[in-house]
Amino acid sequence: MTSNSPSTGSGPDRRTFLASSGLAALAVAGGAPLLTACGGGGSKNEGATTGKKLKDLLPAYVASDLVAPDIPARNGSAAGFTKALPAAELKTSVPKKLGRGGEFTVMAPIWGNVPKQGNPYWKAMDEAAGVRVTWQNQQGDTYGQKLGAVLASSGVPDAVVVPGWELTGKIPSAIANKFADLGPYLSGDRVEQYPNLAAIPTGAWRRSVFGGKLRGLPMPAATTPNIAPFYRTDLFEEEGLEAPTSAQEFYDLCKQLNAPGSKVWACGDMTWAAWNIFGVLPEKPYYWQLVDGKLVNRYETDAYLEALEWSRKLYSAGFVHPDAKAETGSIGDLCAAGKVWMYCQDLSDWYGKAAVQRVEDKKFRMEAFDYFAPDGGDPTLYARPPADIWTFISEKADERTVRDILALADFTAAPYGSKEQRLRMYGVEGVHHTYEDGVLTKNGKGNDEVFSTYEYLASPAPFVAYADLPDVTRGMVRWQQRQGEHTRKPLFHGMMIIEPTRYTELNAEFEDLEKDVVRGRKKVSDMQRAASDWKSGGGDKLRDWYRELLDETGDSAA
Amino acid sequence: MAHTTAGARGATDEKAPDPPGRPPRSRASRAARACGAREAGGRVPLRHRLRRDRVLLLMVLPALLLLLVFTYVPLIGNVVAFQDYDPYIADNAFQAMSQSPWIGFEHFRHMAEDRLFWQAVRNTFAIFAIQLTLFFPVPVLLALFVNSFVRPRVRAVAQAILYLPHFFSWVLVITVFQQMFGGAGLVAQVLRDHGHDGFDLMTDPGLFKFLVTFEMVWKDAGWGVIVFLAALAAVSPELYEAAAMDGANRWRRMWHIQLPALRPVVALLLVLQVGNALTVGFEQILLQRAAVGPSASEVLDTYVWNTGLDNGNFGYGAAIGIVKGVFGLLMVLAANKAAHLMGEQGVYKR
Repeated sequence: MTSNSPSTGSGPDRRTFLASSGLAALAVAGGAPLLTACGGGGSKNEGATTGKKLKDLLPAYVASDLVAPDIPARNGSAAGFTKALPAAELKTSVPKKLGRGGEFTVMAPIWGNVPKQGNPYWKAMDEAAGVRVTWQNQQGDTYGQKLGAVLASSGVPDAVVVPGWELTGKIPSAIANKFADLGPYLSGDRVEQYPNLAAIPTGAWRRSVFGGKLRGLPMPAATTPNIAPFYRTDLFEEEGLEAPTSAQEFYDLCKQLNAPGSKVWACGDMTWAAWNIFGVLPEKPYYWQLVDGKLVNRYETDAYLEALEWSRKLYSAGFVHPDAKAETGSIGDLCAAGKVWMYCQDLSDWYGKAAVQRVEDKKFRMEAFDYFAPDGGDPTLYARPPADIWTFISEKADERTVRDILALADFTAAPYGSKEQRLRMYGVEGVHHTYEDGVLTKNGKGNDEVFSTYEYLASPAPFVAYADLPDVTRGMVRWQQRQGEHTRKPLFHGMMIIEPTRYTELNAEFEDLEKDVVRGRKKVSDMQRAASDWKSGGGDKLRDWYRELLDETGDSAA
Repeated sequence: MAHTTAGARGATDEKAPDPPGRPPRSRASRAARACGAREAGGRVPLRHRLRRDRVLLLMVLPALLLLLVFTYVPLIGNVVAFQDYDPYIADNAFQAMSQSPWIGFEHFRHMAEDRLFWQAVRNTFAIFAIQLTLFFPVPVLLALFVNSFVRPRVRAVAQAILYLPHFFSWVLVITVFQQMFGGAGLVAQVLRDHGHDGFDLMTDPGLFKFLVTFEMVWKDAGWGVIVFLAALAAVSPELYEAAAMDGANRWRRMWHIQLPALRPVVALLLVLQVGNALTVGFEQILLQRAAVGPSASEVLDTYVWNTGLDNGNFGYGAAIGIVKGVFGLLMVLAANKAAHLMGEQGVYKR
């Protein structure tokens, strides 16, 4: 929500792409309905926890709404708040300080400069929550490598933030080995001591069960698509153009707009948008669909190849900006500067770009257009997991420390409209922000210190609240809701599934290959060959493994 | 001529010894020190030698400790090449090593069948070969060029300009190249303005190996000049005067005095370079991997990074590291032998 989320290049590799695409707390309200599930998972760390065993682990949900949103959440979207209340009208969400003054360390990613220890913002947060945090902030783009090393050492911090895109290789098993079971503190009614944690949607908690135990404090997320296809609405209107409504229209539009001679290109890398346009299945572990009772993988579908072929055509026609091809620079900034007409990126760019550009250009408008099916009409979109960032607590932390960390998490999960939330998002009034005529403005100090690290500790049900740009808030939430209408749940939706480590490298090659194919360095037939190698190299065994899991959990997507 | 060569080399040996007491930074200087010690102190008892050299030894100690802690102790980690190693099952690396299952030569067997590994080997060798032919001679030529400036001020300016890019980070170097030679860069734009098609050196897999060498020349060739300039500075001016008296022109003097003076240094660096054949650059290549794809750019070091660290297959990464290390050692031995056969000292003497 803060605008320090980084803007990125056209699309570095999947991890950095996600890592840098901001994680604005756009996320789910309400969560997904409970899966009907049964049976238990595999060995200690592999598989998934389901059925009664899972139900017993989950905290009891107690809704909490301090302020009614201007745009209520719908179709898996976030809730939208377009107005900022004056400080006097803010409610108190945590009436009694839960923290008991304990000291602990938290390792968290950060995108930007690390604020000084003991700065007024951290001090105020600690004071208000009754804890003393020593932050160990690491640069978000290279967080995965740091995480791997820290988890392998004997010095695991008391609390560690782990984004979902870092759950590669052996990290999931590390989580089950190194982090505490929070069940004794949070499962069932026990969560009641932490009302704001109790208000976290159940779907987010379900994704926080690792190795058969509730270990994660989730940051809930909207289940609508996170990648949005952006275009400069203001420039389109100037030219009398309209947003495309089919794959062919998009191509024709590119042809019309592309002008490398004037240093203007039609688009950035559109592969991630193409997944949504062509209805491609999501990433691991939600990459299966049932076709005539048989599990079919993302890599085996026609949609996957069609999406690649379409993205490839954009490259070969010369529509894609060369910086996107070389994966350098920020395509979002090029679009904001009018050098690229369309690109796709995390939805948070909607606010990110507007906040920067409107300082100079009041008429600046960059919006996302709706996804469409390749031949026009309604797209097939798949729901995103209801939580994709967690905080884990070290196994070695004593009870007092665990309670203090939970106290801070309860504080950071305070909903919109509370004093706690205002402090977390905007810092101290007069020091970090000012409030005037209903507009909250962060000052320089606020931008330097009030970073979005605290929200990773645990957040409320997702919301978008940019009172400074109400049209952007409305645009973002409505976009989510319109896409949400076409969003369906993939198989195993919302479950935390840990594949056996022997399969972890099975998919490693595809990401590079996707890039090679769309950039014309490899042929689509190379991808087909890779898919058949995948099958024989373990894919079929992996299919059997998922089949068993499916038999246990039932066909939740149906 | 033979006399001249010998004289020049003698001069080099005399005038450019390691400054006494400086921690030996390179294998070369360590080797030189070892040779010197043997020649000078062969008959002196160890106790006396220790006492005589105690100041020097004391000065060497920190470097030795660093070597021990950061080079020799980590060598123990090589055992994970024979394990299905999971660093997360225990509290620290040593416990994890003792608890991870042994799998013998499984990783090495896998390596033999691993298409991506062999692709990385091929790319590594190709880049090495191009670097050796296109990069290696550049500093020598630049040194001769700079050495030809007589006025100290011109020379200092030339040196400063040459050294400067060495201090740029790879991120910066690649950005500069992207701005110049990228698809939206200066060259492409000038071409488009004149009605030609665009041009994009940065995303062309076919030219990638030349591109990295080109970048390397721009960044580091100037820096490489230093050692050659030192060798040239060691040449006694009398030799030039004598040659000039004998009527040798500039080219003759370069051929008969300067190049022979550089020969031992060239041979030494060449041997070391060959030993590092499988280390062709890491950050530089990793940064540009996405632009051209792994088929053109994956080298052993980036492959180890991706499979070993990024995908968490530490055992396999370590196994590749061992193969790389053994190969490097063999290459050094072979190159050194070749240097001996050509009458050069190489890295060490038998």
